[in-house]
Amino acid sequence: MRFWRTALRIAMRDLRIEGRSGEVLLTTIPFGLAALFLIPLALPLDRQLIATVGPGMFWIVTLLFGMFVTFRQSAVESPAQRETLRLLGVDPAARFTGRVITSALLLVVFEAVLAPATVVLYAPEPIDGWPLLAALGIALIGTMAVDVTAGLRGRTSLAPLLVAPLSVPLLMPAASAAAAIRRGDGIVVPALLMGFAVLALAILGVMTAHSLEEASG
Amino acid sequence: MNLRYALTAAALVALAIGFWLAAGTPPDAVQGEYVRIIHVHVPSSWVAFLAFGGTLLGSAGWLITKRARFDHYAAASAELGVFFTALSLLTGMIWGYVTWGIAWDWGDARMSSTALMFFVYLGYLALRRATLNPVDRARRSAILGIVAFVQVPLVYFSVVLFRTLHQTPSITTEGSTMESSTLRAMLFGLFAFTLAYAAFTTWRTRQLIIEAELTATDAEHAGSAVTAPTLGGRP
Amino acid sequence: MEPLLSLDHVAVAYGQTPVLGDATLSVVRGEVVALRGPNGSGKSTLLRVLATLLRPASGSGVVFGERLGTREVESVRHRIGLIAHQPALYAELTLEENLALVADLAAVVHTSPAAALEAVGLAGAAHRRAGDSSQGMLRRADLARLLITEPDLLLLDEPHSGLDVDALGLVDALVRRCLERGGAAVVVSHLTDLGVDERTVSIVGGKLVA
Repeated sequence: MRFWRTALRIAMRDLRIEGRSGEVLLTTIPFGLAALFLIPLALPLDRQLIATVGPGMFWIVTLLFGMFVTFRQSAVESPAQRETLRLLGVDPAARFTGRVITSALLLVVFEAVLAPATVVLYAPEPIDGWPLLAALGIALIGTMAVDVTAGLRGRTSLAPLLVAPLSVPLLMPAASAAAAIRRGDGIVVPALLMGFAVLALAILGVMTAHSLEEASG
Repeated sequence: MNLRYALTAAALVALAIGFWLAAGTPPDAVQGEYVRIIHVHVPSSWVAFLAFGGTLLGSAGWLITKRARFDHYAAASAELGVFFTALSLLTGMIWGYVTWGIAWDWGDARMSSTALMFFVYLGYLALRRATLNPVDRARRSAILGIVAFVQVPLVYFSVVLFRTLHQTPSITTEGSTMESSTLRAMLFGLFAFTLAYAAFTTWRTRQLIIEAELTATDAEHAGSAVTAPTLGGRP
Repeated sequence: MEPLLSLDHVAVAYGQTPVLGDATLSVVRGEVVALRGPNGSGKSTLLRVLATLLRPASGSGVVFGERLGTREVESVRHRIGLIAHQPALYAELTLEENLALVADLAAVVHTSPAAALEAVGLAGAAHRRAGDSSQGMLRRADLARLLITEPDLLLLDEPHSGLDVDALGLVDALVRRCLERGGAAVVVSHLTDLGVDERTVSIVGGKLVA
């Protein structure tokens, strides 16, 4: 119980900080919307083409720009803040979980804003692909990337480099879901694949949280 | 005889035999002589996966024992994995171009996933370069090495899950669809490339161990460059 | 008397650069050690080793009976209070919210955040964001953290830095309270007089000189 109490307290801290800084709402989401708007400008004026690429563009923007939700300033603790938490005896796995919860919630908001924008701009067939699972997966990978690169030079470009390819097991099933449903193909296996990836990341994240805390000390 | 030299000699001999066997396989009715690219492409793919498995083992070994040797092996294996993945992609693109007329097919999930695996391990090597402290580097890399390996099974399953242009596995548990001399050459090629991986890895691991020993000596203390200021300092 | 902490030839490096070369130190209950030395000599690094936050590259140490570098040492961390150069406060949270976070996460709480802020003279600024507070206010709020957790070992890195004349005695009071509880303190300071009986240990080039 103490684990979850600590995790939720950390999540509340992060949500309160985000609520006051507004970094995701005022910067990251508009950035994602701008990207969604710019992409069709680089494509031929072919409405069918734009409608076809719509779901995929939604997922790509969610991945590439959504990862900055996990990299937001408020998610990166200073060395003194991390040390204080360590001395308070905060379980690193609980701290990791709390930060993932916050990032996942913010990513859901991110998706909730971008999805209708995608429908308006691209007029695609309905977007599908388990957005909640995708948000959790990106939150897990992004938070681990923040911890693995904490305190390193070049962190701002190294962390996205680590996240982008590792997110593919989330991206591919999600982006293919809509087309699969249209074709009448089964989506159970892709869903299981994505679920497996998220579960594995969650287990690895919790198991390695302690080691990563030692590394950043 | 020293293991490294023995492995190197065995690898060279095996590669020579493998080349000879591949040269003796018949040309394909459609692909002609270019079909022999598979004798580099397939073993390269195999070694790429093997190397990343080596990185996983080295990473786990370090986390459990904290012995630097495991970290050096993990790094050496990742470097070779990146090389063989690049070789696999290059030969795959050449083969795709001469066979299907397209060097890169976005409908091919396996090629795309293999390319992404390439980027994952480039990220692994970038992380190692960015971390100065050897113990810190070993710890961060070990964790990333294990997490990255989660992706490896997905590369294989993607061939089955997302029906694409890529050639489905020719060798399955039900038997092979390949001509016998070609199959023989390919299996031997897998063996030869595996020996080459083992040889390269032992040399590179040894090199990393020596580099670590050389850099761990007699560095100046952090504060040794600090002296009393000449402006306003106490007499 | 059994020492609260002891270091035996501990060495630490950042990357390839040695920072602490050969640290041997022992601190008993009721003792205050003043750590003095030139810039870059390893004072802050030594505090972090004593706080069990940095693993020695060589040598050994024991803090509250647990060996440094082991998993077991985590069980004693809640008995350690570290005040570093930079305050450990979250800029977007108010001073009271920052202390409430500490109180919610601490294993044992000895005083409320409001009472702690009152004690350090910040009751009127409780609802001010840390990011809008001066360096001196942040230092006071950071020190207030020690009133909430009441650690048995104080590790203070230039604790007087940024404090005004009225607040300078705050550090002395916190150290005295710790000693009364049977604790000890290691203080890095350039002040020649800490206001308490102290033993001076100098650190030069990463090596301790008693």
